[in-house]
Amino acid sequence: MSVATASYVARRAAQKERVRILYRRALKDTLNWAVHRHLFYPDADALREKFEVNRQVEDIERIDRMIAAGEATHDKWRHPDPYIVPWAPGGSKFCRNPTPPPGLYPFCVITYIFLPS
Amino acid sequence: MALALRSSILCHIRVPISLNLPRLTAVRSMSSSHDDHLDKKEVVDRVLEVIKSFPKVDPSKVTPDVHFQKDLGLDSLDSVEIVMALEEEFKLEIPDKEADKIDSCPLAIEYIHNHPMSS
Repeated sequence: MSVATASYVARRAAQKERVRILYRRALKDTLNWAVHRHLFYPDADALREKFEVNRQVEDIERIDRMIAAGEATHDKWRHPDPYIVPWAPGGSKFCRNPTPPPGLYPFCVITYIFLPS
Repeated sequence: MALALRSSILCHIRVPISLNLPRLTAVRSMSSSHDDHLDKKEVVDRVLEVIKSFPKVDPSKVTPDVHFQKDLGLDSLDSVEIVMALEEEFKLEIPDKEADKIDSCPLAIEYIHNHPMSS
């Protein structure tokens, strides 16, 4: 395999990965905007359709420009307050401790009261 | 001088730490991460259930060692959708780069089974 072919293949692989990640982020964002399933499904289909119309594009430079445009659009319409799984970074339970077990409670209070301030 | 005074005082002071120790040792883990892994069989069953319910997949072809694109005839965007469905099923948040690597059933099962927060 010549160097030119190898670099072409590598570039195409990188582009495919960018498209997959862009689609994944856009799909998650669709779920953020459409909170109910019956709203989400048409939106997800429309998003998929936007990717499908460009399936046959072969020109590598044009693909690059289209990915950049897609990423810019996605960045512009990103949800300001996305859903994050509670324990994940940014989620509501991230780095939180559970309430102490009931047996520990009087002990905590006593320690607190007699702490020298 | 101060050091000698300090050590002589410390030798005579007794702090009843041992009184509190039994209570402290009885406390459960206080971290918010629960580390109860799912059973392997349950993970396999639920992963297969998710993949079978994907509209473009023929349910009879789904086995625990299929590759999404080679065996099921899906394309790369379909496998993105499957990984997202798996994330929702197991209440996970998989980083984008890692989710991109999951392209077959064995990989998905292994990742979910080894993830401490899958439920």
